[in-house]
Amino acid sequence: MTRKQTRIWVPRHNKRRAGSVSRRMVFTWFTLAGLILVVAPQNLTNKFQFAFARIFRWPLSIGRNISLSARTRQPLTDVVSRREHGQLQNHLANVTEELLQKHRKVEELSGLRDRLYALEGAKLMLADVITGSIDGDNKLIINRGESDGLAMGQFVLGDNSIIGTISEVSARTAKVNLITDPSSNIAARIVGLDVETVIQGDGKDSVKVQLLSIKHKLKVGDDVYACKKPGLLDTAIKIGTVAGCKRDDGNPLLWDVTVKPACDIKKLSEVAVVIMNPQQ
Amino acid sequence: MRWLRFAVFILIVTVLQAGMVDILAATRWNVKPDFLLILLVFFAIYCNTSEAIVTSFTVGFAADIIGSAMGSQTLSFGLFGTLLAYLHRVISIKKIPYQSAAIFMTGVLAGTLAYLLSLLKGQPASSNVYGVIFGSSLYSSLLGPFFFLPSAWWMRMKTPRFRRK
Repeated sequence: MTRKQTRIWVPRHNKRRAGSVSRRMVFTWFTLAGLILVVAPQNLTNKFQFAFARIFRWPLSIGRNISLSARTRQPLTDVVSRREHGQLQNHLANVTEELLQKHRKVEELSGLRDRLYALEGAKLMLADVITGSIDGDNKLIINRGESDGLAMGQFVLGDNSIIGTISEVSARTAKVNLITDPSSNIAARIVGLDVETVIQGDGKDSVKVQLLSIKHKLKVGDDVYACKKPGLLDTAIKIGTVAGCKRDDGNPLLWDVTVKPACDIKKLSEVAVVIMNPQQ
Repeated sequence: MRWLRFAVFILIVTVLQAGMVDILAATRWNVKPDFLLILLVFFAIYCNTSEAIVTSFTVGFAADIIGSAMGSQTLSFGLFGTLLAYLHRVISIKKIPYQSAAIFMTGVLAGTLAYLLSLLKGQPASSNVYGVIFGSSLYSSLLGPFFFLPSAWWMRMKTPRFRRK
C-alpha cells in the first residue's frame, strides 16, 4: 500500500517576531503622542507637572534647600542677616507708603473717617517652594493649592515684597508666575509719579516698566509699588526699585526703565499668598 | 535594555535636574548643564535604534515634566534623539570629543526646536533664549562624556572603547 503524499502550502513566517512593532511605527506613535501634548490645553497637561511636583516634593525640596545653602555666601559680620535686613527694609517701605496714602486720604476727605486699607483683613497663606525656576522659566511651584483657598490672580509675597501672581492652581499645588516672567503684567506705580503704569518681566532677573513717557522725572533707587486691585490687593506693596533708566532705543519719547525686584527670588524657600476676604 | 533600571534612572536624574542643578549654575546668565540632554545622547549612542527611539521620547517627556510647557521637549528630544541614533549607525561616536560635539549639536538643535514649539503653544518669548540654549548645550557637552561612565555602570551597558589599530 503506497502512501499518497500531498504538498500543503504553508505561509512563510514573517521575519519579524509576532507582536513586535517596527521602528517606524514606534516613532510615529511617540510623535503623535508628543503632538497631542503640544496641542492639548495647558491646564490639562499641567496636571503631569503638578503630579510630579506633588509626588516628589520631598526630594525636590531637599534638593532645593541644598542648592540654596550651597549658593549662599558666608554672611558678613552684620548684626542682622542681609535677608532679614531686606525684609525689614521692604516692610518699612510698605508701611511708609501706606502712611503716605493715609495722609493723602486724610487731606482729601478732611477729617472723614476712612477704612484702614491694609493686609489686616487678608489671610497670608504661607507656602513652601517645591521647585524654582528651571531653564529660564520664571515660575515657581508651591505646596498650596485650591484646597487652601488659592485662586488664580492672587498676589504672592516673598520677603514682604510682591514676587508674582498665581497663574495655575491644582488641588494641592499652584504655579506662581513671577514678576520677571515676560507674561507677567502688573499695574504699578513709581513713587513720586502721579501715574499708574504696567510692569512686565524681561525673562531674566528684572522687570521693565512699559510705556512711561519721558516727561516724568525718574531716578535710580525710586521704589516701585504694585497698585491696588479690588479683591486681590487692598494696599500698595513694594515690588522693587528702579535700577536703570534711559531713553528707549525704539521710541525716544519713552523711558526704558529697569526695575530690580525687592528680594532675591531665586533664594526664596517660602512665600506667602495674599488671600483677600478669606472664606473663614 | 533594562527598562526598570532605565525608569529609576530617569526619575532620579529628573529630580536632580529639577532640584539640585542650581549648584552647578555658572555665569551671570545662570547657565546650567542639562543632564537629560546628556542622557538622551548617551542612550542614542549606546542603545540599538528601536530602544533609542523609545528612550529619546521618554527623556523628552521627563524634560517636559520639569519644564514650562508639555510636548515641546518630547517632540524635539524624540526627533533629534532618533536622528542621532540613525546617524550613529553611519558615523561612530565613541571618542570623547565626538560625544561632546554630539551633545552640543543635539542640545542646540533640540533646544531651538523646543523653543519654537513652545512659541506655537503660546508660551511667552523670553529674551536671550538662544544664549541660554547655547550656554546650556556647551556646559552639557563639557560635562557629558564624564557622565557617560556612571550611566553605563548603572544601566549595566558596555561602553566599547575606541582603540587605534
